Amino acid sequence: MGEVSERCGLPLDGVTVIDVATVIAAPYCAAILGEFGADVIKVEHPVGGDPCRRFGTPGSRGDTLTWLSEARNKKSVTLDLHHPKGAAMFTELIAQADVLCENFRPGTLERWGVGWDKLSAINPGLVMLRVSGYGQTGPYRDRPGFARIAHAVGGLSYLAGMPRGTPVTPGSTTLGDYLSGLYGCIGVLLALRYREGTGTGQFIDLGLYESVFRCTDELVPAYAMFGTVRQRHGPHVQHSCPYGHFPTRDGKWVAIACATDKLFARLAEAMDRPELASSSVYGEQRVRLANREDVNEIVRDWCGSLDRDEILERCYAARAPAGPLNSIADIFGDRQFHARRNMIAMEEEQGNETVMVPNVVPRLSRTPGRIDSLGPTLGQHTDQVLTEVLGLSGDDIAALRAERVI
Amino acid sequence: MRTEPIPAPRPDPSAASARDHAPAPGTRSDANGPAEDLPLTGVRVIDVGTFLAGPYAASIMGEFGAEILKVEHPIAGDPMRRFGTGTSRPDTSLSWLSEARNRKSVTLDLRKPRGVELFLRLVAVSDVLIENFRPGVMEGWGLDWDRLSQAKSGLVMLRVSGFGQTGPYRHRSGFAHIAHAVGGLSYLAGFPGETPVVPGTAPLGDYMSSLYGAIGVLLALRDRERSGRGQVVDIGIYESVFRQMDEMAAVYALYGKVREREGAGTVIAVPHGHFRTSDDQWVAIACTTDKMFERLSEAMGRPELSSGDVYGHQQKRLAARADVNAIVEAWVGSLTRDEVMQLCISHQVPIGKLNSIADIFDDEQFAARDNLATVDVKGLGPVTVPAVVPRLSLTPGRITGLGPPLGNATTEVLRDLLGLAADEVAELRRHKIV
Repeated sequence: MGEVSERCGLPLDGVTVIDVATVIAAPYCAAILGEFGADVIKVEHPVGGDPCRRFGTPGSRGDTLTWLSEARNKKSVTLDLHHPKGAAMFTELIAQADVLCENFRPGTLERWGVGWDKLSAINPGLVMLRVSGYGQTGPYRDRPGFARIAHAVGGLSYLAGMPRGTPVTPGSTTLGDYLSGLYGCIGVLLALRYREGTGTGQFIDLGLYESVFRCTDELVPAYAMFGTVRQRHGPHVQHSCPYGHFPTRDGKWVAIACATDKLFARLAEAMDRPELASSSVYGEQRVRLANREDVNEIVRDWCGSLDRDEILERCYAARAPAGPLNSIADIFGDRQFHARRNMIAMEEEQGNETVMVPNVVPRLSRTPGRIDSLGPTLGQHTDQVLTEVLGLSGDDIAALRAERVI
Repeated sequence: MRTEPIPAPRPDPSAASARDHAPAPGTRSDANGPAEDLPLTGVRVIDVGTFLAGPYAASIMGEFGAEILKVEHPIAGDPMRRFGTGTSRPDTSLSWLSEARNRKSVTLDLRKPRGVELFLRLVAVSDVLIENFRPGVMEGWGLDWDRLSQAKSGLVMLRVSGFGQTGPYRHRSGFAHIAHAVGGLSYLAGFPGETPVVPGTAPLGDYMSSLYGAIGVLLALRDRERSGRGQVVDIGIYESVFRQMDEMAAVYALYGKVREREGAGTVIAVPHGHFRTSDDQWVAIACTTDKMFERLSEAMGRPELSSGDVYGHQQKRLAARADVNAIVEAWVGSLTRDEVMQLCISHQVPIGKLNSIADIFDDEQFAARDNLATVDVKGLGPVTVPAVVPRLSLTPGRITGLGPPLGNATTEVLRDLLGLAADEVAELRRHKIV
């Protein structure tokens, strides 16, 4: 990113986002908006702030590395919304904002007197992203929700693990948060576009479980039409073979994905056994699926006879779809990640350390995103924002601080 | 596996063909929303991709008002038509029906010069082009960015590939399954020291790339409103996966710690995992904070566990991970799933069933939120698919139709958009260009 030396305007220049959410789900939406030009003001409770500051591995400043990475480009303003003065100041901030991101349990903002009805009356063009475990409606709306619960409820966790074994975490416990941030961001961008023509804002109502559930390919129609209840398939998948993870001689793993007969023919070539791809042997997916165990055993034997890098070289040469199961150590040594600058080193000044964070995705050719700063310290921009945006004086701010409103 | 009566929500056949979700509070009554009043009304998208990585971005745009032209090879069409579970319509798998929603299918052979010429004329009257060929393939047909952006100034092009348009691996073939592995996700799925498993589903990374792709396209369209200029959005599937790996890179860079497989749990909190109930079902419990653990202790009838000198602090629980998990396992294992759920919910403990798809069709939250949409498809009857996400209060998305038959709109599009006469179309057909 940032190949252009002078920055042309970014798509969201001039857009102000208030992020009063916590942890990753809705805040990740705000982070993307910030990467592409929006001014993002993170509103946090004066004591402790966003729990994301404490959830995970701390850096030397004390805030976690997740916070430093995912609160990128944000300004931190403390404000106690439980306090009537805090709620009033929040309302004034919203009056001047374009987007509000929140993920309290449904009804919380309403209890503080800053629900949708109130805020949209003050700012009719407001776009409000509301993320919660189960959405704003339905019988479960009041239940607490985290991504782990969303993975379970949305049907993903049931599918991760060895057949009949304990279902495992589908790789990462925060996937559903990121997915919700992405869906939320799409919703906000759509709503901003609609507002351009009409001047009218709206809210986006997203349950974490819905983001996960939406990504389950044919699970729904297959059950509705044929009653198929998909189960765990371990390292493999149900519709293609060989398609899975295979151990190599040096104790590492490769992923192989022969989604079509053509791709299997290439693998057979990589294995020096082109006869396997003839139609009288395993040339057809249907036949391979019927002989799944035998086919997997052939591939497993081959993978086990060579080191990972040799397997991959042969697959690449034959254009068979394969890749390493990278650990984070592998990723740091991977040429593609370096060539694409997928990680970027940022200086964290207060703790005097360099923090490596994932770079902006997606990559836009003309208006690439930016990371100007890592997650701020708690209340780092309180004085600045209250002065510049709300026009408060130094005395006003001191009084609010004494009252613990900020 | 076949289960008994399928509790799929069935629409009234006399009602509109697409049963969309109910309006959220404060919205207007017509949830389907007239197409002319959606955020992307008037935007035309060409989707020349295959499978999901990229094309799903087009689906989202179609749900919110864009017109989507799916350009496919005249003979084979998109291979997703044959991938996964088939139907009685030969060119139509279930994935195709669900994820090629809201499209018009136009056949065009881009390997023939006349096909390329017609394609450029289509681009000239469109706003967005979505493709996911291997880098260089479109260039090989003469469809490079320079030529495309000349055909249509202000064009926004989304390019999704396994490894992106640059870098040493750009020519390698990539599927989401490979991208999960390269991006670091698959390494983490499974039990410590055991076989890494698929992280739930194989095409997850395709969805992720499409979500990033849709964001990129919407940003580029917004920029175009001001600058008049288009641009390219370049996404490697592996990047979409890697971007979501929270603190993993930062922790490795700073402390040299390599995250390993964590089974059903997570390194950062305990108890935070999957537990088996006495009726052999599974629940997920997530005590992310001390407060959540305190509630769980109460639900278990053992409030003393959350005192400061026992397991009240996350640090203590992490240090005694196996013991804490054993306590929760024993408690969950002594009760049925419904009993555990009830106790946890009444104590506000974060808990959820590990839903199979059968459970989901029975789940009252899915029903209340209308997360399942049933669409009547000619010749196939009712087909149930996931409804639109995200839910917008004023301009909710819509499903106007499921994956179309191959070439169902070829004639219409060539005639209406490109002004071809019937005999010209017939000739193109004869030469298998369309």
